[in-house]
Amino acid sequence: MRADLVPALDPSPVPGPPALLVVLWIVTFLLHLLCVNAAMGGALFATLLPLRLSGEPRRAVSLFFVNANSWALSLAITFAIAPLLFLQVLDGRYFYTASILVAPVWLGLLLLLMLAYYLNWLAKFRLRDGKSAAGLLAVTAALYLVIAGIQTAVHLLSVQPGLWGSFLARPALVLADPTFPPRFLHFVLAAVAMAAILPAAWPRPLGDAAPEAARFGLRVSLAATLLQFVAGLWLLGALPRPVLTALVTGGLAMLAPLGLGALAGIALLMILVKAAAAPGDVRLARFALGAFAAAALFMIVTRHQVRDLYLAASRAAERMEVAPQWGVLALFLLVFVVCAGLTVWAVVRAVRDRPGPGEAAA
Amino acid sequence: MDYPIWDVAFGGGVLIGTIAILHVLVSHFAVGGGLVMAWAETSLGRRPDPALRALLKRSSLMLILVSTVFGAISGVGIWFTIGLVQPAATSALIHSFVWGWAIEWAFFLLEVVTALAWYTTWDRVRPRTHRLLIVLYAFAAYMSLVIIQGILGFMLTPGRWLATHGFWDGFLNPTYLPGLVLRTGVCLLLAGSYLMLAALREKDRDARRRLAGLLGRIELAGAALAAAGLLWWKAALPAGVAANFLGEKPLIAALATGWRYVLVALAVSALLALLAAAVPKTLRWPQAVVALLAAFAVLGGYERVREGARKPFVVRGYMFSNGILVSEVERLNRDGILSKARWAAHQAGPDAVSRGRAVFRAECASCHTLDGYLSIRKRTSSADADYLALLLNALRDDGAKWAATPPQKADYPFMPPFVGTDEELQSLVSYLDSLKTPEPVKTAEANRAR
Repeated sequence: MRADLVPALDPSPVPGPPALLVVLWIVTFLLHLLCVNAAMGGALFATLLPLRLSGEPRRAVSLFFVNANSWALSLAITFAIAPLLFLQVLDGRYFYTASILVAPVWLGLLLLLMLAYYLNWLAKFRLRDGKSAAGLLAVTAALYLVIAGIQTAVHLLSVQPGLWGSFLARPALVLADPTFPPRFLHFVLAAVAMAAILPAAWPRPLGDAAPEAARFGLRVSLAATLLQFVAGLWLLGALPRPVLTALVTGGLAMLAPLGLGALAGIALLMILVKAAAAPGDVRLARFALGAFAAAALFMIVTRHQVRDLYLAASRAAERMEVAPQWGVLALFLLVFVVCAGLTVWAVVRAVRDRPGPGEAAA
Repeated sequence: MDYPIWDVAFGGGVLIGTIAILHVLVSHFAVGGGLVMAWAETSLGRRPDPALRALLKRSSLMLILVSTVFGAISGVGIWFTIGLVQPAATSALIHSFVWGWAIEWAFFLLEVVTALAWYTTWDRVRPRTHRLLIVLYAFAAYMSLVIIQGILGFMLTPGRWLATHGFWDGFLNPTYLPGLVLRTGVCLLLAGSYLMLAALREKDRDARRRLAGLLGRIELAGAALAAAGLLWWKAALPAGVAANFLGEKPLIAALATGWRYVLVALAVSALLALLAAAVPKTLRWPQAVVALLAAFAVLGGYERVREGARKPFVVRGYMFSNGILVSEVERLNRDGILSKARWAAHQAGPDAVSRGRAVFRAECASCHTLDGYLSIRKRTSSADADYLALLLNALRDDGAKWAATPPQKADYPFMPPFVGTDEELQSLVSYLDSLKTPEPVKTAEANRAR
């Protein structure tokens, strides 16, 4: 390993307990991932709609997703900021190096993201006017897939400092990494599996199209979740031997998140089977979303553990200096609780508040 | 420094500047838009005004598309760009201010959600709820400015942080409050100017005049606040910083021009605002467009001056713009810059020119490109090797002396010192000397020889 290419630790100490930073990183990354799944999975599912729906029902379901996506993508970007902050505190040197190795592509990701967002708004306006937006939705979905590929590549670059010397000459080599295809697939299938449940979980805006959209969505989700098990096993098998060995021999703490994630996945599968047989059962669909979120949480923890195993050799001889800024940390937690509370309150009020008879609207 | 170096043909600084200026224009508009719209919608509760309501409703989509889409993505874009061009500086800022940014993020979450909720609930909720949404948005957006200003001001005037490394010492730095007043004024100026342009779509002449008068007064208040903040900010700058662009013989002529440009743009903004407020019937689209461009120029020009005035530092007195810490100058003069610049060294060959290129990439490439922005070829073309060696030696000696003085030292002027061993200095001279013959000429000569 060319450990000499790994940048030195930042001379300033880490300003908070690393364990707390990891928890905040994982929690905010989960929120980010759920929004990404809704946006990317929604665009992909909307692209699949012509397989099953046509005419007005298809327009209604497409509109449902573009409406949801204008929120989901904004929130995905907002929720990306926090994990990016905590990642940079703990593992910034790996992240910066990886992104610099593919700098133009990494920066280009933002242009693709902006394009995807504006295309979503364009699709929204077209669908509202009763026009088709199938082409726009397909392009948006393709953009998301490229973005997912870039994210996967940068992650893989960041966890393999031993290969940086080779990547410097040919960054595209990362695409040949044996874990690239299953990682990418794992990510994309999860997005589709989650988003496809949404029509069954919130059928009201879909009107007459709801039953068919729910039925189709639950079947797609079921298929994606089944394939997810294949992709997951493929990913495990493709991990570098030392990483896999350390993972499976790491004891209960190492295996528990993976095991719980797999169990949550099996539970999701069973709920989806039941829900697909009763597509009008909103509660069951929402229960499936809960199982999905649980599986995602455990898989994120596993991903974090695997990252640590990848980087273990590079970090072996180092000791991170920690000097918590307790006062401002407490202020952050307070502000976060207040802002999150106000956010939820504002949404609930916006959804529930309606003018009474004879009352004017804003 | 010990990261890979991304060679941007037109200069990494130019890239950061371009994205940063686009982002600050949008983000200040988002803050100012929130303040003005919250105030306007609150006033609608007391005195209904259909034209004002229509203006707010029309402009709400713009606010969403600008703040939650372009603003959010370009904000992340700045993160990405500084991480690519100045990773060591980004890491230093993150380690000092991560909780500040986390607080800003919490406000940003509230800002994004209330903005979307406000836009989607026109004609759907009661007026009181709608007002609450925009007031919450304005509060959250302004608080994000309150936070980020601490970090932006810190980079130019870190104040007591240099001695204590305490969060609040860096955050509440000497230019924090002046900068906040200035930015608040600019926010109002930008929002007023944009809404003025949007108000021209109002068909009813009386209503249009009323809106123009109202928005002219908002712009005027913004211009007054911005002017007060600008003068206060200037007064709060350390003498060494101000010397870069103020006084009879400014060190950086382009910044002196920039400073005058900001003052002129601010004067134009104030005059146009006064005209709209006093004689609203004269408002036509050319006036509104010029007012908006002048407001852009005020903020863009100020950001250029602020960034430029920081030269030669990323964080004044702590880290030079090439990522070298003031505290490590002595060690790197002893051990060599390539002991730190691992990636540049990794890519270098054994010969002097190749090692010199590595030194150049490590120390100079953060500001100088080969042939583009601040072209090094142009700047060294008339100097021979002896002169270059003399110059670099002087830069190294001055830097070493300066870095060794106590913390109260005078500001280091203009350009980071040369840092490195004698061998590295000679290698850099060899590399700079090799640039005198442009590559196409070299190739042509090689072809002829063949």
